[in-house]
Amino acid sequence: MTFFNKIDKVIRREIRIWARRPIYFLGSVAVMSFCTVFYLTFLGQGVPSDLPIAVVDQDGSSTSRNFCRQLDATQLGKVIHYGSFSEAQADLQGGRVTSICVIPKGFDRDIRSQRQPTVSFYVNGLYFLGGSLAWKDILTMVNLTAGAVQREVLRLKGVPESEMAGLLRPVDVDVHQIGNATMNYGAYLANMMIPGMLQMVVIIVLIYSLGAELKYGTGRHLLDTVGNDIYAAVSGKVALYTLLFTLIGWTVELILYKWMHFPLAGRLGQMLLACLLLVLASESVAVFIIGCVPVCRFALSIGALYSVLGLSLTGFTLPVEALPAGLRGLAMMYPLRQYYELYVQVGIFGSDFGQWYVHIIALLLFCFLPFLVMGRLGRAYTYMDYERN
Amino acid sequence: MKGISETYIGRWMGDVLRIFNLELRNILNDGGVMIIFVVAGFLYPILYNFVYKNGILEETPIAVVDDAACSDSRRMIREMDATREMDIAWRCTDIEEAKTLLQQRKVNGIVYFPSDFGDRLAAKETATFSIYADMSSFLYYKNLLMGSEFVMLNEINRIKIERLSLEGLTDQEADASVHTVRYEDVNPYNRAFSYSIFLISAILMLIIQQVMFYGMGMSVGTMREENRSFATLPDILTGKGVGRVIIGRGAVYWLIFMVIGIYVCCIVPSMFGFPQRGRFQDILLLLALFVTVCIFFSMTWTTLVTRRESAFLLFLFMSPVCVFLTGFSWPTTAFPGFWKLFSYLFPSTFGCQAFINLNTAGAPLQVVAPQIRALCIQGVVYYILACAAVYVENFVYRKSRFRPVPPA
Repeated sequence: MTFFNKIDKVIRREIRIWARRPIYFLGSVAVMSFCTVFYLTFLGQGVPSDLPIAVVDQDGSSTSRNFCRQLDATQLGKVIHYGSFSEAQADLQGGRVTSICVIPKGFDRDIRSQRQPTVSFYVNGLYFLGGSLAWKDILTMVNLTAGAVQREVLRLKGVPESEMAGLLRPVDVDVHQIGNATMNYGAYLANMMIPGMLQMVVIIVLIYSLGAELKYGTGRHLLDTVGNDIYAAVSGKVALYTLLFTLIGWTVELILYKWMHFPLAGRLGQMLLACLLLVLASESVAVFIIGCVPVCRFALSIGALYSVLGLSLTGFTLPVEALPAGLRGLAMMYPLRQYYELYVQVGIFGSDFGQWYVHIIALLLFCFLPFLVMGRLGRAYTYMDYERN
Repeated sequence: MKGISETYIGRWMGDVLRIFNLELRNILNDGGVMIIFVVAGFLYPILYNFVYKNGILEETPIAVVDDAACSDSRRMIREMDATREMDIAWRCTDIEEAKTLLQQRKVNGIVYFPSDFGDRLAAKETATFSIYADMSSFLYYKNLLMGSEFVMLNEINRIKIERLSLEGLTDQEADASVHTVRYEDVNPYNRAFSYSIFLISAILMLIIQQVMFYGMGMSVGTMREENRSFATLPDILTGKGVGRVIIGRGAVYWLIFMVIGIYVCCIVPSMFGFPQRGRFQDILLLLALFVTVCIFFSMTWTTLVTRRESAFLLFLFMSPVCVFLTGFSWPTTAFPGFWKLFSYLFPSTFGCQAFINLNTAGAPLQVVAPQIRALCIQGVVYYILACAAVYVENFVYRKSRFRPVPPA
């Protein structure tokens, strides 16, 4: 029996298992479909709009009303009027409004007499995105109002229009967002969350597939199929799962970059390669975990703990350098970290091979992990000398 | 006179107690479930606190290309370096060099002063400089933007006063016309927009729900594998007493999770010096309600679990989804309609919001009334569903038990 014959037998056996137990299909295809739909639709257009901003207008003058109208007209804000600060505060604490803007009594009068009134605003920073966007929105509005008043004052002083711009705004900044020009939060999140879920699904499903042989005592049968060749047994399984997960991953990437048109500076083929390697490396981690702990339930618990933490440790939300020093190295334990680095190089910068081949090598290095535990897994399959449950 | 054990209430209590004992023994004897409860329940909050301990990204490395080379641009660069957000790590001769550094991830942003920057300032026109942010993490962008805006606003005011003085205004007049409106921004609950404070607040309650769900799922799956049912009614009841099963089993989880819950919501935050602005009794009340709802929620959904491990395979991906559904990052007002309805399925949606508001924003109990109300409704609905599940399960189980074994 050649190696390929053996692999063929394992694959046929595995497909029979899939047909008997829907959980493999549900755990991979159904879960990934749900995640893809969720992360692509949940954030809608990717930029929030109409965030509720509470305004306590103690002045009630035409200037303050005008301020409120302008704030309401911004894309980000939607003004809700409150009669008193304490009412607004209760809703701020309850998370029902993102911020409170207090326009003081005598706002209009003080502006006219150059007494510099103070607009106060309170932001709920516990709702991160809403809070910080509302903060930015109000700040812009206050600056614009101040600018409008200055313009009026300068005009009265007889400053010609041609000099006005230089006086009102002597310095300006031109902001370029590399890799996500529209600040699409949806694209930012989906680009990494969906591969993150793929890593999780690969690890959990493959651990279960290998662990179920131990749990149901079918490891012997598996080895008998291939003439006691653990390498063929594992390779066969992994080959089939690689096909399944790579197809899922590629479909997702085609959806992201071809259908949703998320920004991608490099070539699609490079991302597809990254995806294939992410699948292979995650599978290697899964084999390594079940090989180290050949008890289905324990291995699954470890896999779950590992992959859920991976979403936090890979550094696409909170960058790795903001982690405590002792934890930074842990990011290297995750294939997803290398995938992220690859995405940054290919997707954001469109760099050449020279910039990102290191991460390809790192992902390939993960593939050596299973060789460390093959012997142990083979013995576990043969002797069934571990706890079943 | 009848003895207490013969009255309806007496029998009811006796049944509940028997089921309670049975379930408690089941859980304590199941190493796997205990590991989930103890390790995940006690370790996860600590792990997350460690990961997000700093929570604030400071001193993002920036490359500067100063083609203007005037005193104004040099001063601005110095001021940027002095901000908390930015660290001028490299000074480059041209933009290409800076781009290379950005690609090599040695810097996370570029500040570029064009050669006409100084000339434009001298000519009293608007001088523009550029920033290029690496969007691989939004926090880099935020730091670059905030740092340079602070410096820019400061510069603007300085230059304005200078120019207005040239127009013949006194210092005081110039200041008054520059600062026509002053502002004061207050971010009372999360002063520095710390990533950890907002994330951990949301995650703590979620840990309780998820740990309970996976644990109960494992326990139910095990019983199914061993050909028992979680819904076995006491034999003497002849098919009645569904409520007793729910209450009896639930009481076990309630006791375990009140302990874990108090640890997660009260002890962990104080261990990590996390804000605790709520009143203890309010938090305890919320916790008691939340744990109850979570029990009925888990009982309902674990009915679908058929094997010991399937809870992991089928529902692990829900943990990050639930995090987003709490609305602490993407604002609830921006949820698409369907996902808003979907989020009502989970106790964590309301539990986390209420906890953030009570504990971290220090709100009084009446402020979280909407969340408490929602939790109560969820509790009632899930109680009914859990009862229905037990009833159906029991019906199916009885039928299958009395069916003759088919020949192999």
